[in-house]
Amino acid sequence: MKLYKKEGNIVQILSFPNETVEKGDYLLIEDVEATKALIVQVIDVQFASIPGILEELLRSLPDGGELMQGEDFDPLEIAPHITYIQDARLNICKIRATVENEGLSPNNSWLPSRSQSAIRKLPIPTLLKLAKIDGKLPIVLGGTKDSSFLTIDASSLDGKLNIITGKKETGKSHLSKLLMLNLIRYKATVVVFDLNGEYVSLGMTADRKRNAYYHKIHVLTPSQNFKVALKQLHLHVLLSILIHALHLPGTSAREFRRIWQSLKERGNLVLRELGEAIRNWRCNQHVRDALFSRYYALINSGFFTDNVAEAMLLEECLFKAKEEGGAIIVNLRNTSSIDRQIVVEYLLGKLVELLTSWKLKAVFLFAEEAHLYLRETYWDDIVTRMRHLGIFTTFITNQPDTIRQNIYRQADNIFLFNFTNEHDLEVVSRAARVDAETVKSIAIDLPPHYCLVLGKVVKDFPMVVKVKALDVKTMGETRLFFKDMN
Amino acid sequence: MVIQQYTITTTPKYNFPQPTIDTTLPQRLIELSIHSLKHVQNQPFQLNQQTFQQNNSSEEHIQTLQPKLQPIPLKPKPEKTLVAAVDTSSIKIGETSTGILIAVRGANVWKQNKSYRYIRLGPFIFHITEENKKEVYNALRRAYFNSPHEHSRQSSPNLLQMPTRIANLLERWLQKMLSKTISNGLILFDGSLTSGIADTPTQRMIEILTTARKRNNVVLAFSKMTSLRFNGYLITDVLLRYKPPYMLEMAGLKPKPPIVLLGDVYVARLTKGNYAFRLDIDKEVPIERRIEAVEKLLGSDLFSQSYPETLRLAHILCTFTANEVIAMQHCIARRYGLKIISRPDMHRLLFGPFGKGERRS
Repeated sequence: MKLYKKEGNIVQILSFPNETVEKGDYLLIEDVEATKALIVQVIDVQFASIPGILEELLRSLPDGGELMQGEDFDPLEIAPHITYIQDARLNICKIRATVENEGLSPNNSWLPSRSQSAIRKLPIPTLLKLAKIDGKLPIVLGGTKDSSFLTIDASSLDGKLNIITGKKETGKSHLSKLLMLNLIRYKATVVVFDLNGEYVSLGMTADRKRNAYYHKIHVLTPSQNFKVALKQLHLHVLLSILIHALHLPGTSAREFRRIWQSLKERGNLVLRELGEAIRNWRCNQHVRDALFSRYYALINSGFFTDNVAEAMLLEECLFKAKEEGGAIIVNLRNTSSIDRQIVVEYLLGKLVELLTSWKLKAVFLFAEEAHLYLRETYWDDIVTRMRHLGIFTTFITNQPDTIRQNIYRQADNIFLFNFTNEHDLEVVSRAARVDAETVKSIAIDLPPHYCLVLGKVVKDFPMVVKVKALDVKTMGETRLFFKDMN
Repeated sequence: MVIQQYTITTTPKYNFPQPTIDTTLPQRLIELSIHSLKHVQNQPFQLNQQTFQQNNSSEEHIQTLQPKLQPIPLKPKPEKTLVAAVDTSSIKIGETSTGILIAVRGANVWKQNKSYRYIRLGPFIFHITEENKKEVYNALRRAYFNSPHEHSRQSSPNLLQMPTRIANLLERWLQKMLSKTISNGLILFDGSLTSGIADTPTQRMIEILTTARKRNNVVLAFSKMTSLRFNGYLITDVLLRYKPPYMLEMAGLKPKPPIVLLGDVYVARLTKGNYAFRLDIDKEVPIERRIEAVEKLLGSDLFSQSYPETLRLAHILCTFTANEVIAMQHCIARRYGLKIISRPDMHRLLFGPFGKGERRS
């Protein structure tokens, strides 16, 4: 390999057919004289612009587009050299770091010698060692191209904002399950907003036997085993539900506040009494109608109960998870859009309450397709206020444009699966920890289950990994009409 | 398992030159090529600053030239006729401190059963120095002319003429091979049927044409360029208001000795458009057969801008492309340990942006 050109932080390296270099590979450009080396990553492999190549190709196809038949008597065996030259490649590489005094530095201001530099492939294990991508809490994400494992540190997810994105059926949920189970292993508390009921069987192996996580997976299904009593609720949480999930106008919300305080003073915070109070409250008829419609929405959700014993499971599960690690899977599968928002409003309010009072230390929140249940104002809240309180969110989506731009800008880690659509990649490339060329060039060619890992978990050395398989019962399979007919 | 069989090896009617038969010249080319390169090992060599490809033979002096007033109209004859063509090419690929590195290649192309096939010989790479040029050239002449006394008549060319001369020798050998192996076909040469000039001894050209005739072939030589003029105009620019295809005979050509014309000269305009070429047809072939040969060519081969496709392909196949030149430089650098150096271009050095680089004069 030979160093050909450098423009900005892009280096072009010439390689020959016997030097196999692929997108995503790391190369080390060593300048012995300078006692420094440049670490670059291949983001694109092109054919080198060889003079006369067009004539050569045209010459081989003159017979009506078909390959011309003939015999070459080539005694000096020049043909292999011609092929060698014609197949020369130009590797477009991005500078990632400089190796100096056996350490890494982000210094890209120097230029290695074009004639004297030695260029070789940098094995991923060596890079991981150089970049110190290890730690005391290892999570094996999967295998890299050179058959080594990519291991990240669980603490690099701690206090961080993560995004897992890619098109359908590329393995996003699989990776989120892998991260989640490993966090549980290290006794973390995890909450999952499970939109499609994919996470409910994580405590089982593929052959339906209990696995090591069985007792740590707590599935809460709203209106079934997950209910809330009015007595447990803080007024501001209920008002958030009424205003944001059920769109109660401000005037009506004021009246509701008075009704609530009146019932609380009398110790009558039960559903039937709330209905009666709204009926008998002296207020404008429109306000009463508005309050009644929201009241029935709450009743019909089935999420509210007067039986406090029925409504203790969430806290129990959270405290259990706090002690020995565990995941609270909020199964939103058969929940309507309004009810989903009610549940999410309640749960986030509850988490904030428990974290503020230090009853919980921190929570890793996994949110699948969050735009379907997260209200507008929560996006900023999650990346600022809630993060400081100890809610560390991982968004999982196949529609990257549904996540707001400021989330991408503040994302610490991005796990990017394949996208074919350039518009989707354009959205993802706005993330602060990512350079657009890397995202667009590498992600577009990723096969299913291969993930481009970007951000702090890999110390900003983008790496392609084949996400390892999990022995858990997956529920994310799409129901098919023709499946049994074949 | 299916082994690919070329029709040329199985059809008894058309037996084409193959590397396994009559390999005197290619064998000698290989030997000389390797021998010459062995003496250049581990030397620095400079990349070429000037290239020349394809052979342009100097045209004969003409005393008087008179076109016949009546053109010969042509009617394509769609008879199954084998059309074969020969061309060679040479290029300088670099310089060493003692000489030059050159490469030559030749190609035979033929059209048979509506498809084109080829045999390509080379590239042969030579290191030519002032010391070995005579040895190389005479050895090749001997191998081609097959006569131990042939070399004594002519001195070896100068260094810069060597690529063209060696390519000419290869071309004559390829022409000889075609004339010996084809029957009832049309053999297309690149250039004219002029002999008596360097590398084209009259006797040898007569032999080629005689052999071709004996096997019932007709040799047609197309010149891409000509300097023959009539009334001050190039003969190929004398376009009559006749509908092509036709050819116009040029009479009165009397070259100065020792140059001999072995063919009669025509201007051939074979397709629509303003392109016409000088066409030499073997003198010994009766006029009716000449016309019939051109008509058969029109019926058997494709034509683009009045030029036969078979000859065009022969030219394309032997011409060196830039990446082949790089590959040859790569090959000799690897195999013979030559160190590539880049000597400054003196034109550029002296005249800056006004120095356009060396040009072949």
